[in-house]
Amino acid sequence: MSDDTINHHAQTDDETPVLEPREEAKSEGFGVQTIDVSEASWWRRLGAGATHYPFVHRSRYYFVLSFLVIVAGLAALTGRGLNFGISFKGGVSWQVPSATLTVKQANTIVARAGVTQATVVTLGSHSARTLEVQADLTKLSGAARTAKENQVASLLAAKAHIPSSAVAIEFVGPTWGGQITDAAVKALIAFFVGIILYISIRFEWKMAAAAIIAVVHDLLVTIGIYALSGFQVTPSTVIAVLTILGYSLYDTIVVFDRIKENVGGLVDKGKMNYSDAVDLSVNQTLARSLNTSLVAVIPILSVLVIGAYVLGATTLKNFGLALVVGLTSGAYSSLFIASPLLARFKEREHRYRQIRARIERRAVVAEPEGMTAS
Amino acid sequence: MRKGRWIQSVLISTVVAIAAFVAVISAHYHPVLGLDLQGGASVVYKPARKVSAATLDETISIIENRVNALGVGEPSIGQQGNDIVVDLPGIKDPKKALSFIGQTAILQFRPVLCTAPLYTKPPASLHLTKQQLTPTCPTSATDTASTLQYVPTTSPLTATSASTAVLPEYSGNSKTVVARYVVGPTLLTGNAIKSVYAAPESQTVTNKWAINFTLTAKASPVFNQIAKTYYHQLLAVVLDGTVQSAPEINSTNFNGQGQITGNYTQATATDLATILHYGALPVQLVQQTVQTISPTLGAASLRAGLIAGVAGLILVMLYTIFYYRLLGLVVVGGLATTFAALWAIIALLGHTAQLTLNLAGVTGIIVSIGVIVDSYIVFFERLKDEARNGRSLRASVDTGFSKAFRTIIAADLVSFIGAALLYYFSIGDVRGFAFFLGLSTILDVASAWFFTRPLVLWIGNSISPKRYRWLGVPLVQVTQKPLGGTGVIRPSRVAAKGV
Repeated sequence: MSDDTINHHAQTDDETPVLEPREEAKSEGFGVQTIDVSEASWWRRLGAGATHYPFVHRSRYYFVLSFLVIVAGLAALTGRGLNFGISFKGGVSWQVPSATLTVKQANTIVARAGVTQATVVTLGSHSARTLEVQADLTKLSGAARTAKENQVASLLAAKAHIPSSAVAIEFVGPTWGGQITDAAVKALIAFFVGIILYISIRFEWKMAAAAIIAVVHDLLVTIGIYALSGFQVTPSTVIAVLTILGYSLYDTIVVFDRIKENVGGLVDKGKMNYSDAVDLSVNQTLARSLNTSLVAVIPILSVLVIGAYVLGATTLKNFGLALVVGLTSGAYSSLFIASPLLARFKEREHRYRQIRARIERRAVVAEPEGMTAS
Repeated sequence: MRKGRWIQSVLISTVVAIAAFVAVISAHYHPVLGLDLQGGASVVYKPARKVSAATLDETISIIENRVNALGVGEPSIGQQGNDIVVDLPGIKDPKKALSFIGQTAILQFRPVLCTAPLYTKPPASLHLTKQQLTPTCPTSATDTASTLQYVPTTSPLTATSASTAVLPEYSGNSKTVVARYVVGPTLLTGNAIKSVYAAPESQTVTNKWAINFTLTAKASPVFNQIAKTYYHQLLAVVLDGTVQSAPEINSTNFNGQGQITGNYTQATATDLATILHYGALPVQLVQQTVQTISPTLGAASLRAGLIAGVAGLILVMLYTIFYYRLLGLVVVGGLATTFAALWAIIALLGHTAQLTLNLAGVTGIIVSIGVIVDSYIVFFERLKDEARNGRSLRASVDTGFSKAFRTIIAADLVSFIGAALLYYFSIGDVRGFAFFLGLSTILDVASAWFFTRPLVLWIGNSISPKRYRWLGVPLVQVTQKPLGGTGVIRPSRVAAKGV
């Protein structure tokens, strides 16, 4: 700001503390109020980045909580496994748009056509209601299968009083799911390698490690919740999970960027130990983290609620569920897993142990500053 | 004056985005919808055995010919690894079309009853009966000669099973019809051919080529019978409902071997030989996935996606306006210009590069709302931080942006790397999703630099200090009185030294 008028902006120090928020408009300066902690609402403190949640100092509780959730999920995973959709195991699905056709009617029709072990679910409601029938027909040869597909489609259509071309048919061969999984696993590995490299270059490898552990955490939590709840896993789920990884990292990077800055400005100058700097950074970016998560979740909830339950689009529902679960986990892990982990990793370094010791020695001499970690 | 430049940048980026948007609208370029949004059929084929790249290319070009013969608007035939992906958006009868495309052998030998003139649209004044529009050859008793030109070419979907049909012959690889034939029922199929090769007609005439074929032992007597019946008439070699060649039968005894001569060059003769040899496709194809979606269901999905997206967008805008007030309006403006640009790019790429917008892509865009708005939040929170540290608003905007922009770049790069890898390694819907997510990430960075920064700088410099509360949640510096040892909350150290 080299040019023209830098003036009349009163400095914070000159301000007499004012309590009423409306007062600030009258003041000539920036209008920064100084409020004592005891009088500031939580909302205020959050907005001012002045909350003091002990993310690092309480981290073992968070780690235990995450551990329990993950263990429960993994237990369910080994116990009942994931509910894979036909895209993974192969099979045929028919989607019948109909407000009247009942699940029972559909079951009878399908059984009469000689298709065994079909599952029928309804999606959406009222005029957007759709009935989805899934069955495994992969044992039939090409022509026989197509004939059976068409037979079932026209039977369902006749019962629902719609033309048979209105029934959407999807067939997936038994090997296709394997291909999707292969591609997803490849993408995942490449993603991890790429991100580790990038964070290691842009920041440092310990940050990369902490960020990746948080992402793996999100992955495990999401898989666990899918195993526990029995939600169907479709290719959309895979896409959603891969997105979550990106999003969770994005969140983590923003916090780490601030940690890097605070470490440069405070820790390296011996004013604060690493753990406190991490806590400070997370608290400073807390308003952003919460706002971001909210802003990310709003459109996805709208996809889930409006798109899937009200209007009945299966793909949207599959996206929405995984995204909501993953985003929540991602927002949590950036704050409660990635940052505390980073602090633990860094506190092991000789340099930061020294800084910590020096500050503690000083704190004993100059007592009331309140530098002791809570 | 810097102010002038800021306004310029805001105006230019807005005008560019809106002009692009208006340009694609007025050029009638619309985003090409995927078939899950407009209905249609999609199929992924895998060759039944390992094939060379050349064979795969040949298979794809044969499928292309078949799809083109169907006359579907904007079909897409692509290769994904060793798989062949065929998308037929908006097709009317997907079941029939797919069985037509995937068939391995629809090579037929059919007698030519007569040649038909090229198709002309019947004049409105002429009321033709259904009877007159069926393919029949003129006899002296009828006047069909005059109406045969009005009989449309039989659709390839029905041609293979119809007993009589009007079939076209195309010139070379082009789509121009050079001749039409009224053909009778199928006499023999591609199975009759045992082997076939193309060679010059004779050793002296090397610029004229012929196709030599050997029939199977079983087909040989049948062929002789045909030759007797249709001696000196034309025999049409029909592939997928189009006449490849209609040579005249010049013998009654072929002894299991024959030669097709005519106006063949080396290339055309080899093509025909290949067609005869393989029946139709050089390799059997196995369906990996087949998806047929009715237009109504597609439209319902599109509506669901759009309503969900718009509702999400409006809620996000309301929240940012509630939380950031005037700056919230900057977000609204930024989102509007970003989405105008995004729409223009999608429509343009749809027109020029067959980019289709499917449901996964729509979801990618909806997810990107979060990513885009996040950049604003990072910036605004940073700005408030700086202001809280005692900087003037204009200084806060300046340093706040340069610090926030670093973060935005770092975070967007992570998002972009993720999207790019996802695009590169994945198949199917995932690619579309990754593409749109990556695209909006790039637009996000561009919009942060060319739109948000100058606009906020301009606001920061123009707004009177009395109006600062328009910028959202009031700026509060929370401090702590020294309370002995009980205080859990420490004074913000950064804040304290900012002055």
